[in-house]
Amino acid sequence: MKKSITLVILLFVSLYTTAQNTEKEKKKDSIVALDEVQLITIIKKKIETDMKMAVTVDEFLASSDNISFIKRGAYAWEPLLNNMSSERSTITIDGMHVFGACTDKMDPITSYVESNNLSKIDIKSGQEGSMHGATVAGSIDLKRKSTPFNLSKKWNGAYQTGFEFNNKQFFNLANASYSGSKFVADGSLAYRKAENYSDGNTEEVKHSQFTKFNASLGLAYKTSELSSVKVEAIYDEAKDVGYPALPMDLWLSRALITSATYKQLFKEGLFRALDTKIYFNAIEHYMDDTTRPENLVHMDMPGWSTTYGLLSKANLKSNNFSSEIQLNAYNNLSTAEMRMYPQDRSERSMFAYSWPAVTTTFAGISLNNSWEISDKSQLNFGGALGVNYNHSKYVEFNWIFHPGTPQEKTRILPSFHAGYQLDIKNFNFSVGGGYGHRAPSVSEGYGYYIYNSFDRYDYIGNPDLKNEISYEGNASAGYKGDKFSLQANVNYFYIENYIIGRILSLGSPMNYQSVGVKGYTSLEYSTLFNFSLNTSYTILDNLHWKGVLTYARGKDDNKNNLPFIRPLSYQSSIHYRYNRFNFQTSVNGDLEQINYSPEYGEDQTPSYTIWNLSADYTFKIKDYRTVVQIGAENILNEYYSTYADWGNIPRMGSNIFTSLKFNF
Amino acid sequence: MKKNIFFVIAALVAVTSCTLDKTDYEAEISTVVVEHFEFNEVVSINKNNYQIRIEALNGTLYKGYNDIHLTITNTQTNENISTSNVTFLPIITNYNGNNASCPHQYNLNYNTENNYYSGYAVFTSESNELENWEVHISFTDNGETYTVNQDIIVEEQANMNLNMTAFTANDGEQYFIALVAPQKPKIAENELVAGIYKYNQPSNEAGTFPDPSQFSYTEVSNYTLLLDPRMPEPSMGNHSSPNNQNLTQQEDGLYYGTVNYTMTGNWTLNFRLQNPDGDIIKGTEVSTDFTPGIEGERSELHIDILF
Ligand SMILES: [Cu+2]
Repeated sequence: MKKSITLVILLFVSLYTTAQNTEKEKKKDSIVALDEVQLITIIKKKIETDMKMAVTVDEFLASSDNISFIKRGAYAWEPLLNNMSSERSTITIDGMHVFGACTDKMDPITSYVESNNLSKIDIKSGQEGSMHGATVAGSIDLKRKSTPFNLSKKWNGAYQTGFEFNNKQFFNLANASYSGSKFVADGSLAYRKAENYSDGNTEEVKHSQFTKFNASLGLAYKTSELSSVKVEAIYDEAKDVGYPALPMDLWLSRALITSATYKQLFKEGLFRALDTKIYFNAIEHYMDDTTRPENLVHMDMPGWSTTYGLLSKANLKSNNFSSEIQLNAYNNLSTAEMRMYPQDRSERSMFAYSWPAVTTTFAGISLNNSWEISDKSQLNFGGALGVNYNHSKYVEFNWIFHPGTPQEKTRILPSFHAGYQLDIKNFNFSVGGGYGHRAPSVSEGYGYYIYNSFDRYDYIGNPDLKNEISYEGNASAGYKGDKFSLQANVNYFYIENYIIGRILSLGSPMNYQSVGVKGYTSLEYSTLFNFSLNTSYTILDNLHWKGVLTYARGKDDNKNNLPFIRPLSYQSSIHYRYNRFNFQTSVNGDLEQINYSPEYGEDQTPSYTIWNLSADYTFKIKDYRTVVQIGAENILNEYYSTYADWGNIPRMGSNIFTSLKFNF
Repeated sequence: MKKNIFFVIAALVAVTSCTLDKTDYEAEISTVVVEHFEFNEVVSINKNNYQIRIEALNGTLYKGYNDIHLTITNTQTNENISTSNVTFLPIITNYNGNNASCPHQYNLNYNTENNYYSGYAVFTSESNELENWEVHISFTDNGETYTVNQDIIVEEQANMNLNMTAFTANDGEQYFIALVAPQKPKIAENELVAGIYKYNQPSNEAGTFPDPSQFSYTEVSNYTLLLDPRMPEPSMGNHSSPNNQNLTQQEDGLYYGTVNYTMTGNWTLNFRLQNPDGDIIKGTEVSTDFTPGIEGERSELHIDILF
């Protein structure tokens, strides 16, 4: 009991506390040591899903019910939070902002990490996610692994290897850590190589191969009983990655993500923890369209993104009131080029910037408070105020479509949110609301002839776009019994000045496959509704059932459907444990997409159902815990593509996966 | 540990240097075009007690539009003449002795601010072995009229942005369109300036050579030059740009409009010439369709440029 109490206290004071993790019986003790604080992170959920223990970051994210994906191939899926595209959410790595260098969104931030250097992924919906910066949809924070000081076992490690038969994906993931009393080191290496996958008709989907290498290193040094410094780096390199849904592939993408952190804990007083991080990351991205014979014209489209940032966070606590204050500041420079070659290559080539060296500087302060009104109820509230500054170095490109628009633009981005939680016996309820602004992304504001192969239009940014303003309401209700649990969540967004591409009567396309020019414009408003229902039932001690149902609806100001809104989807899974064996099977699918959006280039996607199965066995080789797993996805080899598969590319057909994991 | 930190720093340095270099944009847009800003002496002529200096940009006369500055100095008094009527007439003579001229300003204006006479000439061809350009200048001082002839060299205009075209329109008249600006376009909104001229058919018999009435050109008034810029390269699929403005005449007699270039490369300015009655007297409307892989069709009246 004592142990669990300490654990709960630690959890509360811990730097890793999230609003979601608020436990009920908190004690007001304050003896905390740094080593123990960090223990918590290990206990957190591992990066694996019920079905599969060796997942990619994308597959792991997909197991969350408010995340869906736009998929342009087998690699680097774009996460949609609350059915909103990635511009509307803040995606960070340990709170650090990283911006992709691809104008075609080939590189969401999630593609620059690996499952073996993450400890968990923190997803917050709506304005609750404003801690790391202005957002509409919410935040996705990828938490890196961080080994605590002074573990009883100094050396820890894991090695995982596996093979997936459909696309001949072979992967090797290794990580190791050293934990001393003064010094801690974490390291990981990962390598994946996959060939083209086959769809449900057992036909090869060309240009769906990928190769990814990822390495990370973290070194921490304890400077005093309650303080530490830490330097961390992630290096990621993707090479020869096919994007079957796009007219071009990736030749090379590299990211270096570095940070230095200073942490200070306090035994007493109002301030409990102070955590300051400076960071730098650089991404380079080079596309390649020469592998596509259908392209009569070849185009170089390299992109670069560099970000410097500072993030400082303080945890305060006084009686039943606790708050978290965070200061975020970053500066990003995004540049992307476009060079086209005439038929006669010796002739002069044609050149333009698709991102004309756009600087984004953001500084903001965020606050999150939670007040325990009683044992049963809690109020969370907070807000943020940010300043967002953009500068376009080659503003003449923006002047083509927006003559005379200023080179610089400063925006104020306020937000606030509040939520009330109530627990009555086995029931829990919550209601909340939020309000927040976001600034247009670099592409939305300053993009220039960015080809979107989904609707086949060239997109032009508009520097004069108004802030997108979100008004949001959410509610949940749940029941948790010994055997049965049920949880329902709803949220509703009313988004003013909703940014979306609209056909321009001006100009003519530049990209070879394009059919016209669209400009980013603000709709007067649009609305989004998300609903999810989670149930679980313990049939026997070793037999569990889980079910998930989600539904979403998005409309624009003319009551037309918004694109990329997930139709009614379901998942049902059974887990059975027998001695050291685990068996899982699941069925998931989407119903027919009724509310699709022809205005924004969508066509109707039929329903599909996928059946998966897996089994694993845990045993010991000497003293090392070893798990072997074998499974099959899409067992019936269903041919399907989802509502968010770019260009309706078919998804993978049946796939047998195997993996083996050693823990040292 | 020191070693590790060293590795991190080494990796940092290695990775922050780009694999492929970014384009040097300034170099990219300045490779083709040399811009000229300075008026230098083209030729200096001594006649009696007078020195006549002709100045043009870069000290060179080019095919196409040229601003001309002219000063006449009395070498005795060392004073510039400012009250004279100065005429300026370029004549081209070919190998069998035929004469022609080109659009030009016959009566030069005196610029009191800068103390020179100013005018222009739109040379329609370059000097070569078979064709020779000559200017005929006359001026008066102290009641006496002086005339001078001087051979000049007209060179090729390497800057395609200052190209010109000559044509006979549907009304049977001979027209000239010469680009005046921009010398060095940008990927941006550019003010496009052109001169539009017409040859005045002589109504009387030729008098003594050189009879200016035989070589008379005027700037046309109240015409409109309809503009449709496009990239002719097949890979560009007849790409065009937004927010272009047709050229209309301003007070200085030249025609001003707006052209937007969306990227560097080859562009064609497709024109249609509209007379004050609203009739199109030259030029065809080009397709606005996006036609990837096909060379863009040009108007029968067009000027190709490159930057
Ligand atoms: Cu890309």
